Amino acid sequence: MPSPAERAIARRATRQLLVGAVVVGLSFGASAAAAATTYASTFTTAASRAQIAATTGADRGLAVVLGPTRGIDTVGGYTVYKGFVFLTTIGAVWAVLAGTRLLRGEEDHGRWQLLVAGATRPGRATAAAALAIGVVAVVVTVLTGLIVAVAGRSPDVGFSPGQSLAYGASLGLVVLSFGAVGAVASQLGGTRRTANGLATVVVAVAFVLRMLADTADGLRWLRWATPFGWTLLVDPFGQPAWGPLLLAVVVSVALGALAVVLAGRRDVGRGLLARHDDRPARLGGLGSTIGLATRLEGPTLLAWCAGIAATGLLYGMVANLVTSDLPESMTSMLDRFGARGTLVDQYFGVVFLLVACVAALIPANQIGAAADEETSGRIVRILAGPTARARWLGERLALAAVATLVAALLAAVCTWAAAAAQGVPIGLVTLLGAGLNVVPSALLALGVGAVLLAVAPRHAGGITYVVVLLSVVLDLVASMVSGWAWLDQLSIFHRLALYPSEPVSVASTVGVLVAAVALAGVAVAAFARRDLHPA
Amino acid sequence: MGVAVRTEGLTKRYGSTVALDHLDLEIEAGEVFGYLGPNGAGKSTTIALLLGLIRPTSGSAAIFGLDVARDAVALHRRLAYVPSESALWPSLTGEEAMHLLAELHGTVDEAYRDELVERFHLDPRKRIRAYSHGNRQKVLLVAAFASRADLLLLDEPTTGLDPLMEQVFRSCVHDAKARGQTVLLSSHILSEVEAVCDRVGMLRAARLIEVGRLGDLQGIGGQRVRAELHGAPPRLDGLAGVSDVTISGNVMECEVTGPIGPLLEALAPAGIEHLVTRTPSLEELFVARYGDGA
Repeated sequence: MPSPAERAIARRATRQLLVGAVVVGLSFGASAAAAATTYASTFTTAASRAQIAATTGADRGLAVVLGPTRGIDTVGGYTVYKGFVFLTTIGAVWAVLAGTRLLRGEEDHGRWQLLVAGATRPGRATAAAALAIGVVAVVVTVLTGLIVAVAGRSPDVGFSPGQSLAYGASLGLVVLSFGAVGAVASQLGGTRRTANGLATVVVAVAFVLRMLADTADGLRWLRWATPFGWTLLVDPFGQPAWGPLLLAVVVSVALGALAVVLAGRRDVGRGLLARHDDRPARLGGLGSTIGLATRLEGPTLLAWCAGIAATGLLYGMVANLVTSDLPESMTSMLDRFGARGTLVDQYFGVVFLLVACVAALIPANQIGAAADEETSGRIVRILAGPTARARWLGERLALAAVATLVAALLAAVCTWAAAAAQGVPIGLVTLLGAGLNVVPSALLALGVGAVLLAVAPRHAGGITYVVVLLSVVLDLVASMVSGWAWLDQLSIFHRLALYPSEPVSVASTVGVLVAAVALAGVAVAAFARRDLHPA
Repeated sequence: MGVAVRTEGLTKRYGSTVALDHLDLEIEAGEVFGYLGPNGAGKSTTIALLLGLIRPTSGSAAIFGLDVARDAVALHRRLAYVPSESALWPSLTGEEAMHLLAELHGTVDEAYRDELVERFHLDPRKRIRAYSHGNRQKVLLVAAFASRADLLLLDEPTTGLDPLMEQVFRSCVHDAKARGQTVLLSSHILSEVEAVCDRVGMLRAARLIEVGRLGDLQGIGGQRVRAELHGAPPRLDGLAGVSDVTISGNVMECEVTGPIGPLLEALAPAGIEHLVTRTPSLEELFVARYGDGA
């Protein structure tokens, strides 16, 4: 029987994640409902659907990049395909962050120690907190399922409640699985950053395994090896299969149990992979505030760069597969993302939309890191000395901006190198342009985050992530539902041209940059005048 | 000696909560000023205002003639701050943290820093993460004292230090005073304030209720007298300066403000066998001032 302390831990953990889970569930549901409704109203006849299926249904390249195209002659098949890569990736990243927040972030802040000092033990407390991951996976499943079921009541769409729930579960299982991965990573890493890094590697491996599984029929069994594959295996709108869901539950419970065992065996406040506690001084970067910021954030920024470089390499490598021997009618599929021009240009236009999403997450991460300096009280060590507040924030924003620029250019170089090696006719200069093109929208995210930091430091990091992820979802929804195109104006990607498939408007680009700089300026001025957050 | 810290009507409100109410305070350059008060009286708020970390609702504060908000950067070169909650970067070692703080501050007496590391028994090779609270506190104390700043703002700086380290801290404050540095020491440890401070200010419910030399403050409270008498104690009603009289058997206790002569004359007929007088400790003063809980 859980003790009152353990019940309190479970309740508190659930409360911490609930708002995020509701946002994720509503976004997933809205995005899928929009995809289903659009498809049903655009391709009204069986003939038009059959034509799409005939031309693109068997296309392997597209399946590798964006998910299964086999079922796109049905509303359900298209709905799964349309949201697959975006929604599962968002779900996985959010779940990892949620899991490490509960089980490592709290410990980093010293609050976990207070909880464990209650009538419980570290292992049992971990089990209680991990329960919250299960709860939020159910919340995501039910909310997504409900919204899709409402959309499914339309006879044109025609989803049964059971199918809708299965679709919700196919996304909820991603949250459950990677939340559990985050729980185990929290036991291994000695800090939340290390735990996030470890868990993100698992997400990346799972992502690549799913891609591999779709490269050849002989490799399809690989879908069973990754949560992203399980999502596809559920096949919610065909013959819903509950086996993959059961597998996800079993694996997650096993991972949860592993986390509980590991938590019982390690010292509270340390990770199993803890480093030595004493070492000779390394004074690099400790001579200035910008040096300190670079030293503290360097490992994280390198990880982001590595991630975005890997994304570039991956999409560069499969570029040949996607763009060669593709029937002309394929254009209509890519058209749905608003891409135009030659097939190669269209492909890279969509790839750099993905790069834009990742690049915009770097400012969100850095705003969170800057806010943490303040809420932890460490910022006072700097601001009680002769450093102006405006300078401190200005330097942090500049560091984030430079890192974003470097990451975008790195993505361009890696994409080009991998594509050129496969003989895809695309120039380095073109892709460098595509890389630069994603920077203004990312800087807009930085400006928005800076204002949030100047107003509400406690929540700045989290809200900035939400702004970026919601922008992705809004962009998806707005691009599909004609009446909802206005939604796109709320997105930080509103002015983003899908270069090289769309021409870049200089006026738009300059406008976005000016807006970003203006927001940053307002933020720095406001930050210099307000009370610091008490530690 | 000039004025190091001067506040005029310094007030901080959070909504309807008054954290600091019209503080008028002057601290002379070169003095060690003790800042006393129960939890939540406004001690840390005062120091946060002096550091420019929060903005006053009204009133003003200046240090060495410089405005604490407008001239913060220039001013902060001349002061060092030690809080009771030592938030530091957990991945840095003690030595790295001290190096960083010295670099950011701009001045450091390296020989003195090395000496302080010895005196505080600090192992600078360890990561902040692995330090106890007391050891993290030592890192900040060493950095602050080694900066040789003109003004030290110390906000309950010895929380977590053991009694031996407390002695080292006191000797550091004495050294700082001997060098002409000014110290504002907010503290709960009254023996600490008694040992190192020249003057004391007492805060209660956001207001400064008492400022003065320690001796003067103790004079306000008068002295405690305990007398064992040969015969039954006489009635002391109406005797000037005598209050709080308790009698049990042949033992009389009371409080006397002003000259003690009249009391002795009154007691003499009963035959004084044993007499003890004692000035109140700061602790008794503190309890007398705050004991009613308000």
